[in-house]
Amino acid sequence: MRVLCCLDGSNAEQIGTALKMFAAVQPLTVGMLHVTDTRPREDMDLIRERFWRHPLHPHHAPAPPPEHLPRPSPREGEIYEAEKASAEEILKESRGFCAGAETLEREGRPEREIVNLAAEWCADLVIVCSRAAYGSREEIGPKSVGHVARFVVDHAPCPILLLRPTVRDHFPIES
Amino acid sequence: MLSFFHLPEFWNALLSSLIALLTLAGIMIRPFRWNEARIAISGAALLLFLGLISPRDALFTLLRDWNTFFFFLGMMALSALAETACLFDWLGVQAARLAGESAARLFLNVFLLGTFISMLFSNDATALILTPIVYVLVTKLRLPALPYLFACTFIADSASFLLPISNPINIIILSHHSLNLPTFLRLLLLPSVVVIGINVGVFFFLYRRQLGGSFDVERLSSPQAAIKHKAYFRYTCCVLALVAPAYMAAAAVQFPLSAVAMAGAMLLLAGACYWRRTTLREAGKGIAWSIFGFIAGMFIVVRAVERTGLTTKFGNLLLHLSRGSSFGAVMVGTAGAALGTNLINNVPMAVLMNSALVSIQNASPGVRQGFIAATMFGCDLGPNLTTVGSLATVLWLLILRHRNVDVSGLDYFKVGIVVTPLMLFAGALTMWLLL
Repeated sequence: MRVLCCLDGSNAEQIGTALKMFAAVQPLTVGMLHVTDTRPREDMDLIRERFWRHPLHPHHAPAPPPEHLPRPSPREGEIYEAEKASAEEILKESRGFCAGAETLEREGRPEREIVNLAAEWCADLVIVCSRAAYGSREEIGPKSVGHVARFVVDHAPCPILLLRPTVRDHFPIES
Repeated sequence: MLSFFHLPEFWNALLSSLIALLTLAGIMIRPFRWNEARIAISGAALLLFLGLISPRDALFTLLRDWNTFFFFLGMMALSALAETACLFDWLGVQAARLAGESAARLFLNVFLLGTFISMLFSNDATALILTPIVYVLVTKLRLPALPYLFACTFIADSASFLLPISNPINIIILSHHSLNLPTFLRLLLLPSVVVIGINVGVFFFLYRRQLGGSFDVERLSSPQAAIKHKAYFRYTCCVLALVAPAYMAAAAVQFPLSAVAMAGAMLLLAGACYWRRTTLREAGKGIAWSIFGFIAGMFIVVRAVERTGLTTKFGNLLLHLSRGSSFGAVMVGTAGAALGTNLINNVPMAVLMNSALVSIQNASPGVRQGFIAATMFGCDLGPNLTTVGSLATVLWLLILRHRNVDVSGLDYFKVGIVVTPLMLFAGALTMWLLL
């Protein structure tokens, strides 16, 4: 069984706990995926364009740079380094919860990369968390599934295991 | 050249207006994604070629606005050279360390830092330099990037009318319409605080789910490690400590602010070259040279329209809409400037309003000051509505999105459309109460 786990920087432990359910499954191949979101770079380039500057990331720019504008700043390298270091650290940390897992690193729109990779990697199951936990109160309800998980649920080529926080104090839900 | 032929006044006016309209439409739509500078210069060149404005008049128009050109140059150079000294990187690390590991406090610190940088270096520095620094910080700290990026982008404009130097648009307006520093501060300081408060409050509400966590400050390097050359960093701090009060003093006595910006930039450049932190060529890369072509083109195009009397009529229309009251002046000025800014970009709108405001010179001081302050306010804050460009850009993004093409920038619009009208109205209301 090939299980693809979607990391977001805050869910390695939660995924590790979920993987214990599959300990008896043999053979089990686990893939730990981290996607670096490229939207912030694109947004920064749009802002630079508004202020008459050359895009920092030309290959992500929505248009060819205007002529006679300054060349990209060295800030570009710093951004790539920070993204790369963060992705590697997250993947390394995930191996602590599942030794022997295959690590996969991508960049793009996380929701699209996840479903595309699930198809390419021939995943039998995708494990995804309902939303990244940034320390806010655990919630249930209509907005509790983030846009990435929602897209993956809608478009994945295989079954999905959607991990949600354990919340007991909102029940029973009244009509 | 048509200047060899005598054209009746009516045809002169019609042709000038038509070329101006085409230029503004070109800037708005940007056919084939042409650079706006190219469009503005083409418009000006056509006017000159057809003899609709004399070269002497065009030259005089440009020379009269030397303060604006040099301020743009000085401001951009000052920011670029301060970036070379790693000042903004150091401030970013300090903001993170002072946040006490709380994501929410870091969010607030980003707003405060953005306000400080916009106030002293102009909105340009916050949007272009602080944004990537904050992005690198939050990536290292594993915090959600978008709220922090949006905070930087929005505060760049929300804090850009704290001082005359906080936005070059203010210099464009103030070069033509005098508003002394005490009046500027009386009319725009409190609205700035109100607008920044709304910006912070609404953003905290919008991103409340993403700001509940904490971060491990050990993921960051020390503030000292952010500084690549200590002597140049200290020198930069000293120069800026001189430039800030010099700006205030110059604004107080109506001395050209461009002289202060240029002097500060020259001092930093001398230091940077002495410590071999940059070269003239490298420093030049930090400056968007095409903006000078754009401004020059717009000055000439608007001057040609001014000669037809159309801008006076536009000014009279604004005055008529305001019904001669200070409340009307503030509301009409703000709404007109903000709307125009989103249609045709804030620089052309500021130049156009400069010309239109000539016809309010004889209005009562309250109305006159109301219009001038509201124009700066609308042109400075207006871009937050469609942060990524003009309304035309947003419409284009919406069309692409409709065709299922992956686009960036729409999230900015979604936030901008919620928060900006609120900030514009509250700020204008505060300004009116202060008139």
